[in-house]
Amino acid sequence: MPDMAEPRKSSSTYGRDDDPLTYFFKTLIDHEVTVELKNDIQIRGTLKSVDQYLNIKLDDIQVVEELKYPHLSSVKNVFIRGSVVRYVHLPAAAVDVPLLEDATRREAANQAGKGK
Amino acid sequence: MADAEEGPTGSVSEPLDLVRLLLDEVVFVKLRGDRELKGRLYAYDSHMNLVLGDVVETIYLIDEDDEDEDIKTTTKKVGNVICPR
Amino acid sequence: MSNVDPAGHNQSAPGFGQAYDPFADLRDNHDYTDEALDFEDTYDGLGDQLDETDDAFNDDTFGDTTAGASGAVGKDFDFFGATAKITNAMEEEHQRFSLQQKTSRTVRPHAAQDYNTGYSYQPTQPAPKPARTGYEKYKEEPTELQIDASIWGVAPKKAATPAAVSQPVVTGRKMMSLEEVEAAMRAEAKQTPPVPLTSQFQPQPQYHVQELQAAVEPGLYPRQEQLDPIRQPIDGRHQRGFQTDYQQPGAQGATHGHPITILQRPSRHSPSAPGPATAIPSPMSQPQQTPPNVPTQILQNPNRLPADATRMTAPIHLSQKSQNSIPRALTQKQNQLSELSEREKAAFVEAEARRAKRNHKIHLMSGNNGLMTPQDKSFITRIQLQQLVSATGDPSEQGNEAALAEDFYYQVLSSLRAGQRPNPNQPLNNFAQTYLFQTGTRRGGPRHHGPQNHVQRMEQQVQRAVEAAKNKPKNKQLVIEGSLGKISFSNAKTPKPLLNIKRPESGTDSNRPASGQRTQPASKGHDKKDTLRDIENVYLTLMKMEDLTRSMPPPNGPADQNIADKQDEFNKLNEQLWSHLRVHDPISSTIVHPFISFISYPKGKRAVPRVFRYLSPTQRTTILTMIIIHLDQLDVIRGAQVQTGEPISLDAATRERIELFSLAVMPSLFQLLNECDLDIVTGVLGLITQNVNVDLVARTRIGVSMLTMILSRAELIKQAGQASEQSWQQWVATFNIFFNTLEPTLHNIFPGTITSNEDIYVWQFLAAIGIGASPDEQQRLVFAVKDRVMGTVGLAKTLPPDMAKGRLDNVNLFMRSIGLDVELLN
Repeated sequence: MPDMAEPRKSSSTYGRDDDPLTYFFKTLIDHEVTVELKNDIQIRGTLKSVDQYLNIKLDDIQVVEELKYPHLSSVKNVFIRGSVVRYVHLPAAAVDVPLLEDATRREAANQAGKGK
Repeated sequence: MADAEEGPTGSVSEPLDLVRLLLDEVVFVKLRGDRELKGRLYAYDSHMNLVLGDVVETIYLIDEDDEDEDIKTTTKKVGNVICPR
Repeated sequence: MSNVDPAGHNQSAPGFGQAYDPFADLRDNHDYTDEALDFEDTYDGLGDQLDETDDAFNDDTFGDTTAGASGAVGKDFDFFGATAKITNAMEEEHQRFSLQQKTSRTVRPHAAQDYNTGYSYQPTQPAPKPARTGYEKYKEEPTELQIDASIWGVAPKKAATPAAVSQPVVTGRKMMSLEEVEAAMRAEAKQTPPVPLTSQFQPQPQYHVQELQAAVEPGLYPRQEQLDPIRQPIDGRHQRGFQTDYQQPGAQGATHGHPITILQRPSRHSPSAPGPATAIPSPMSQPQQTPPNVPTQILQNPNRLPADATRMTAPIHLSQKSQNSIPRALTQKQNQLSELSEREKAAFVEAEARRAKRNHKIHLMSGNNGLMTPQDKSFITRIQLQQLVSATGDPSEQGNEAALAEDFYYQVLSSLRAGQRPNPNQPLNNFAQTYLFQTGTRRGGPRHHGPQNHVQRMEQQVQRAVEAAKNKPKNKQLVIEGSLGKISFSNAKTPKPLLNIKRPESGTDSNRPASGQRTQPASKGHDKKDTLRDIENVYLTLMKMEDLTRSMPPPNGPADQNIADKQDEFNKLNEQLWSHLRVHDPISSTIVHPFISFISYPKGKRAVPRVFRYLSPTQRTTILTMIIIHLDQLDVIRGAQVQTGEPISLDAATRERIELFSLAVMPSLFQLLNECDLDIVTGVLGLITQNVNVDLVARTRIGVSMLTMILSRAELIKQAGQASEQSWQQWVATFNIFFNTLEPTLHNIFPGTITSNEDIYVWQFLAAIGIGASPDEQQRLVFAVKDRVMGTVGLAKTLPPDMAKGRLDNVNLFMRSIGLDVELLN
């Protein structure tokens, strides 16, 4: 694991979001996603940006169980630290699965190549 | 025959290579917090973030009134990212 | 521009341009190691003779710091220390200034480097005082703006005094024999003021401008800028001599409006300040001599740094100017000013405005100048370049491999989506095409491209065959008609499920002799992991081949070594691909063949169309054969049988597999088969009848589609006249065997009940059989399916017209293939 993480670090010094999943996420910008936090709150909103830590910015949010979390009912936009996210529910139509799988294969091959 | 022909990319040398074999397959994921996921593996990265499709999540809750009784909660989702940190 | 050199006019800028040169201070920071001239060689000692009388005010203003400064200032003057002593007097300004000092101090070395790299033409000078960024003055812009108004009106008169004062000082030394020049100029001035001795280069207006500047801003050091080009190279150290002055300017600048304009800080001068006189003289009068003042001017010159273009040409003109025009007496200037025509004034104002605009722009851009070292800058530049390269990248272009490697998903997806949206004709890059082809294969995927076409094409193919057959009716139709009619109405009820025997899906194949011994994919020898590894290796190889193809020049290009190498590489990859597919693994009767396992996985199925593009025709045909031989072992056939009359009981997963197979694999096979001649088609059908459980196959949608494909292809070959008589005879013989094998199953090949309406593919199949069948076979065929025919016709009568038509059309597809029509049944 550590040796796979290494190359990322080096390339991130160039300011690139080097994580392929980050790129994948960026294609979902302006789509509606639901972010489920580790405290069980689920927030639905328009994905506005995402970074390599999977920090997330949502616009026009709506809390799924609004009655349960009334303190969020007046919040329109949120920034969510990536580490508190449990799941992100994605719109299936916005995901190109074969392409995503190939992208993952490529990344895996790249990592293996770098590892050697 | 098989082994002889495997190129540099063909060997399963690291744990994540095993995960790679499961791309597009239905996988079973155990998470912290007594959660389990079953879904098709679309993507992963070196941090083991996962993108899954057609996911069924199972949460094991212990009912405190009775003794140890497992309650299964299942949720169906499409497309998922897990951050197993 | 030539007339009014931006650099030269800066100080006189009446408006916001107002004289201050933001970059002037930068000069302080330069060390002069790069100087072309050695200071010692050029220094004429003028500094020692400077009239310091007006410096007396310095003490009042700054306290007595002049011990070392006002007298002979040594080269080791402590600028920072000296400045620090006077800071008390400066109140709030002090804070700002001291801040600047601090920053600049630490930064200084870098800053010097910066400027050296950035502006190589710039002379570097020793940093006489605490380094500054050179932009302090900009920060004080507002204050300076106040100055402007007064300048226009009052300034000229005041100018006279300072000029006078300065002159004596100026009367310099050797260097350029200033006196002579001045004398000449005065003489000139009396006549036609503008024309300088050496001023061939300078058009008249310029003189006026210069004079105007001088007149307008006596206190300021208008000319300095003009002089700079010449002087800069000459000395860096002159400044030392005037360190006192220099050090204070910063402070004074803070205390704006202070009378002691002695310091040559132009920008600081308040319009009314009387003091300036002292300071000014020197710059104005000493142009040619590189007098002690020169450094000051350099330092203060705001325009120097920014003006790139002007600099290149400026030096020449400036030198000329300085020699000629600068030395003039102020009185002359005043005269000249009055002589200025409206037009000239306008020109001057315009020039000023232009310069001010530029200065403002520079100022805006220079907010954080000096913060970064050259290393920082080049680092950033590299990053920017890198990002430019990848940002402008189109995956189809070569040279963007890096971008693709970094960001494959995004790149391809965006070109996919771009290709879908506005301009469908726009050629997609290879990758996009690959995945466009692919994307329809996911269930629920919104896009159906190639695969959908395939289904339609197969329907059309059957239809064409039927149409052709209808045109040459076989005979004995009456008999058939009769037999149909005889049974028709008595059976026109909805068939009820007579048989309720549900065959366990998994048990189905074990009941059949052909497949009895075959077991599930995961068995010894080649287990699931092996297969998955094969699949992943195929994908990796595929992507390599796709990359390679993309970088391959067009085939008709000139052949060179590069292409040959790539071809070799391609062939190697092809071999790898082929071996990973396991097609040539030995066929065993006890285990499922690895290739069949391969395509039992969704990703295995999905790989097929991509694989086909990189295989030779022979390899493709081999795969077709492989699939045909193991037809009844395919996951989409094993356990996917339907039972006529029973509700279709396939589970979702199986349906999904079937859907995927027909979208991903079938089109490739269909296309391949349509390129085969009749012998191969015959051979394929023969393989089926000999090796495969036809009953199993015929009761599955995939199986039926496969058979339809084969039969209709043969019919089309025949109709096209491409089949030799012998080949055709072989085909007929094979077909007969096949028909005999199939016949028992015929009544059972319809999925579900009549109302299920999922049987269109069966009617297509029956049509394909009907075309090729002999009259006898046609009769048997009709007999076998008559119940379904009549049932569907009966059902149609109870349905709304449009739905009924759909059903009847399906039936008619078959009926017409044997020369009948549902109309006849009514």
